Amino acid sequence: MKTIANNLRLFWQGTMLSYIALFAWLRPTTYIASKILMPLAQILFFTFLGSYASGGSNVDFYVIGNAIQITAVSGIFGVTMSIGGDRWAGTLPYLFGTPANRLMMFFGRAFMHIIDGALGVVIALMWGALLFGVDFSQTNMSALGLTILVTTISTCGLGLLMGCLSLITANVMFVNNTVYFLLLIFSGANVALDTLPNWMQAFSQILPLTRGIASARILIAGGSFSQVAPMLMSEIGIGLIYGWLGYMLFKWFELQAKRKGTLETV
Amino acid sequence: MNSIEVKNLKRIYRATTGVIRRTTKEIVAVDDVSFEIKEGELFGLLGPNGAGKTTTVKVLATLLIPDAGEVRVKGLDIVKDANEIRKHIGFIFGGERGLYWRLSAIDNLRYFASLYHVDPEISKKRIPYLLDMVGLNGRGDERVQGYSRGMKQRLHVARTLLHDPDILFLDEPTIGLDPVGAREFREVIRNLQSEKKTILLTTHYMFEADSLCGRVAVIDKGLIVALDTPSALKKHVSDLSVVEVETFGVAEEVVEKIRNLPFVDALSVKDQDQRQLLLVQTKLGAEAVPDVMAALDGMRVGRVTVREPTLEDAYVRLVGGQV
Ligand SMILES: Nc1ncnc2c1ncn2[C@@H]1O[C@H](COP(=O)(O)OP(=O)(O)OP(=O)(O)O)[C@@H](O)[C@H]1O
Ligand SMILES: [Mg+2]
Repeated sequence: MKTIANNLRLFWQGTMLSYIALFAWLRPTTYIASKILMPLAQILFFTFLGSYASGGSNVDFYVIGNAIQITAVSGIFGVTMSIGGDRWAGTLPYLFGTPANRLMMFFGRAFMHIIDGALGVVIALMWGALLFGVDFSQTNMSALGLTILVTTISTCGLGLLMGCLSLITANVMFVNNTVYFLLLIFSGANVALDTLPNWMQAFSQILPLTRGIASARILIAGGSFSQVAPMLMSEIGIGLIYGWLGYMLFKWFELQAKRKGTLETV
Repeated sequence: MNSIEVKNLKRIYRATTGVIRRTTKEIVAVDDVSFEIKEGELFGLLGPNGAGKTTTVKVLATLLIPDAGEVRVKGLDIVKDANEIRKHIGFIFGGERGLYWRLSAIDNLRYFASLYHVDPEISKKRIPYLLDMVGLNGRGDERVQGYSRGMKQRLHVARTLLHDPDILFLDEPTIGLDPVGAREFREVIRNLQSEKKTILLTTHYMFEADSLCGRVAVIDKGLIVALDTPSALKKHVSDLSVVEVETFGVAEEVVEKIRNLPFVDALSVKDQDQRQLLLVQTKLGAEAVPDVMAALDGMRVGRVTVREPTLEDAYVRLVGGQV
């Protein structure tokens, strides 16, 4: 019991502090502005580009795809910076010298970005309704909310893996950008997946986001929760696998650092 | 009771260089080090740059796995029982890194309190107490970013005392502090010792080791070259006196010439801006002065004094001239 309470507290402290640190970095006004404007920029850009290329037929496709894709910003870049920040701050030796549960230390960092990412999606969808007339009248809102949450969690799972890579390689921003653009293409945010070659479709299936975007499109078009439930299950499963791989990588990093003495040199 | 037992510790770093033709270079950071620290003892670890002090501390702090030897803290094995040991130890690596600069001091401490599983009821009282103890009271709400180096180093002390460890490893805790700050810091260390904490301290300041430590070990190239109380180490050189000569731009050849004079036991040079202080260890005492001056051959010299040896002189003799 005591251990559980301790671990929850550690999780919560990690969450709170990454939140405080974020606001120490950005002023609240800057943060809110970026929260409102960034989704707008992404939606405008890709929706105009996409509907221009496809002859303007299905605006909803691009709006919804890119709105959900917003989670990748918090999920990939936010989580990476949160974990990689320790390397920059030189806190790793002090963290690894504590008896703290590594899982809690690790996931606590990601939690805030789940909330942050989900918020970005909601704002993007609101822009979609406002500017492009995306119609939510047929939508099961609670199922859509769940879809957003699940997709955000699964992207953060991938973000955790990337964050741990950032402990190991100095080139993580390059890797991150690559992953981000891979997601832009292969998640189906901007390309109808069935028009892609088979191997690309197969690749899409092992990424987070893909099923989340598909589910959101179905739900907004008036589909039922039972239609998307299996996809959401897989989506969360994929996220957990990436998160777990990230955690394994984190443990491996810690062990390797103790063996090789690379805690500061990273 | 021994709090710390280090037996034949060895630690090698392997560095790979080259992309195509990879070569592995082995650096023996700690070759064969053994010592014991009793409960409540303040033990100093001295030695030149690269001697293996930090490496030894990292092993003790459970951050490095030894290649050979046995290391026990409170009777627990450093590798197998690392997580249990972590609850009882605190450590500081000198310098200002290792804190979250975007957070306030209090938030930093809160986070580390949760990492050490300190009960929130306890940490609520302990955080202000520790801030006060390290002289940061009233500044805890400020972001660490704006702290001076000395303040960050004090915050590290507060951080490492959150879980009230019995054993502390302090690796050059006073590095880069101004003389007043360093003195206050030593006062903090003294207070910790009076709270019966076991402390391992590394430092390059010999007077610091002399005034604080009950026993010191001198380590050089990964080996212990002396281990005793400061006064016993000074006895090694008690038959010697030290002739200090202040020079201005002395040439390397001249230093070598003096070093090779038959009555010179050891010689070290301390750079101070434009001046160099030559420290000549000799059994002759004041009688050596004329010959040293002759070797300097009419060069401009400042103050010349003859004095009793200090711990630093004993140290210089042990490690051969480097400070
Ligand atoms: N992470 C590392 N990888 C490779 N070599 C290392 C590493 N850390 C230390 N070394 C080497 O090991 C040796 C001992 O280093 P260590 O840091 O223990 O010395 P030290 O006594 O603390 O020196 P200083 O007084 O300069 O702090 C040095 O030769 C150093 O270059
Ligand atoms: Mg060192």
